[in-house]
Amino acid sequence: MAKLNMITGGIASLMAIFACSTAMADDVTLEYWVFSDFAQGDALALQETFIKEFTDKHPGVKIEIVGKGDDDLTAGQVAGAASGNLPDVFMNGIRVGAQLAEAGVLANLYDKWMAMPEEYRAQFDKNEIKNCMPEEGKLYCLPYTGYGSLLFRNLTVLEKAGIDPSKPLTTWDEWLDQMKKVKAAGVNAIPDQSLVFNSIAEMYAISGDASTWSIDWDARKTRIDPKIMAKVLEKFVAMADLNSGTSRNDQATKDLFITNQLAFHTVGPWVDPTYVEAAKNSGLKYDYVLIPGDTAGKHGGIKYYEFVGVAPGKNFDISWEFASFITEKEQMVRWAKLLSRYNSNAAAMNDPEVAALPLVAASVEAVKGAMDVLPPYFVKAVPNCYLSTVVDYTSATADGDYSPEEGAEEMISELNACLAQ
Amino acid sequence: MLLFVVFFLYPIISGLFYSFHDWNGVREPTFVGLSNYRWLISSRDFSRAMTNLCVYLLITVPIGIFAALGLALLVDSFTGRWANFFRNAYFLPVVLPAFLAATIWRWIYAPNFGLLNMILGWFGIPAVNFLNDTGTMMYALIAVDVWVSAGFNMVILLAGLKNIPTELYEAARLDGANKWQQIIHITLPMLGPVMFFVVTYSVISAMQVFDKPWLLTGSSFTEYGGRRGALLFPVMDMMGQAFGELKFGLASAYGFILTTAIVAVTAVMYLLGNRKETK
Repeated sequence: MAKLNMITGGIASLMAIFACSTAMADDVTLEYWVFSDFAQGDALALQETFIKEFTDKHPGVKIEIVGKGDDDLTAGQVAGAASGNLPDVFMNGIRVGAQLAEAGVLANLYDKWMAMPEEYRAQFDKNEIKNCMPEEGKLYCLPYTGYGSLLFRNLTVLEKAGIDPSKPLTTWDEWLDQMKKVKAAGVNAIPDQSLVFNSIAEMYAISGDASTWSIDWDARKTRIDPKIMAKVLEKFVAMADLNSGTSRNDQATKDLFITNQLAFHTVGPWVDPTYVEAAKNSGLKYDYVLIPGDTAGKHGGIKYYEFVGVAPGKNFDISWEFASFITEKEQMVRWAKLLSRYNSNAAAMNDPEVAALPLVAASVEAVKGAMDVLPPYFVKAVPNCYLSTVVDYTSATADGDYSPEEGAEEMISELNACLAQ
Repeated sequence: MLLFVVFFLYPIISGLFYSFHDWNGVREPTFVGLSNYRWLISSRDFSRAMTNLCVYLLITVPIGIFAALGLALLVDSFTGRWANFFRNAYFLPVVLPAFLAATIWRWIYAPNFGLLNMILGWFGIPAVNFLNDTGTMMYALIAVDVWVSAGFNMVILLAGLKNIPTELYEAARLDGANKWQQIIHITLPMLGPVMFFVVTYSVISAMQVFDKPWLLTGSSFTEYGGRRGALLFPVMDMMGQAFGELKFGLASAYGFILTTAIVAVTAVMYLLGNRKETK
């Protein structure tokens, strides 16, 4: 009997060890890096819900979410690639896609993507999927959140300047006329649009489009058209005396808008929660419309995307499953409802409840007419001198150092020199 | 010795090695000879960053030291609780995190409703766009820098002041020397070695200026230096090249040029200091 007990005990122990080793073999912990604002408050709670739903379906998988600022995300991903310690699934902005692809941070998702059912692939905005594909057979990202820039208007200021905000704003000329009226009423019309590359791109889109804004990497030349750029620089000269001297990203700009000292703010929808709070607490009256173009029906503004990438390596398969799970319609609908924000899952944007959200509806329209901020993506890293040249010559022209024609010529010549290096 | 090799010698030698290579931080480096150095020297941003650095050094170091000396003399004239209070108050900016200091100053400098513009407004002076007007940006940075560094230098100089024998002042007073004469003929000469340390440290810190202009201009790895690059400095450009463009070879060349410049300036100052002592 004692022998039988020993044998039974031995078998039970072996089975326990075997079960344990099987479980250990299946156990995997994924590191998931997100933008810091996605790792706090309600956004974090929803991300944790997604993680729980996924891990419930995949026993043995544990996912650790880490929030990081924009620069930290990029620096951490590159350092991770160098040390062989990459996060498994991560977000970043599409503008740094080429750097990350070059550094080997991003796995090619093309085969996995093509293996997904058509109904999954059809959910995404086709242009955004195209942006993730620098060439046939290579897909470096799944487009995730994003925005189209909008024109936020302070209605109290407009009324003070004798402007009827209910009258649609259809062209740049009408908008400039309103800016002049606002300034004449003693209020700042607009932030200084010449301070940040993205706000210059927003203004360029008023006159031009992405076909003349991108880079020809084969010839290593800018595609910016000098005539269009001269026309855009004229706008900066016209706005020079009307602006608040703050950039579109400054806290001071939001403060000016909230305190009725600024009429217009061209920016992404992330400022809306701040303005909603101000409307509740201090009576801010505002709305948002599309940025008018040179002609009726044309819109200015930019569109930009954040993406989800997957690292190459041993956890690639399960990481891809998680990435495809968080980007699919059901999750993106919940994400859009929570943040009231646009994302690149077109099926989610068409969901009736999401489409009825005013900010989403405006964003969907804004994206249609907006210009990609710095295409083509995932091809080659745009040198910093390219961005600084655009900003410097725009500022210099607005300051009166060049005429718009001279500024455009000099800028393009300097951009080509920068790309040739 | 091991620590010296690991934390000092190795980074310098590996930086020098990578400065001759095209390297994105991940793939194998490719030897490119002197082309990183050639590229840098011909780059618009490099010359702008170096010019800004020279202007900044020439203004911020003397002003910072004068401010620190003034504060040290002031605090030294107090005794007991007041001396402690002022010493701690002036040292506070040193321990304040850089991002917090920058946030405070961005608010002080804000156009329209910033504290400074509000004060200017009381005197009928039109608002100044301190952080976006290329004519004022450098001075706005220097003011922040002096505010932060004066406390640290003050503590060092204060320690030097406490070491000056009081008999020297008593003898000078008996000889009829006024306060100003005491400072010129006793305090400053006796502070020589401490002052040498403060000047050297201030120059080295100023040559590596990074966090304050970065935060004041709301810079990122791809856009930095503020309006028309008025607050672009070498370390900022080096960070941009490294993490914005993944040109670690170029960034290493940048780092090596800066290190060489810092070592050269320090050596010259050391030699001058030694010559003065020998005389």
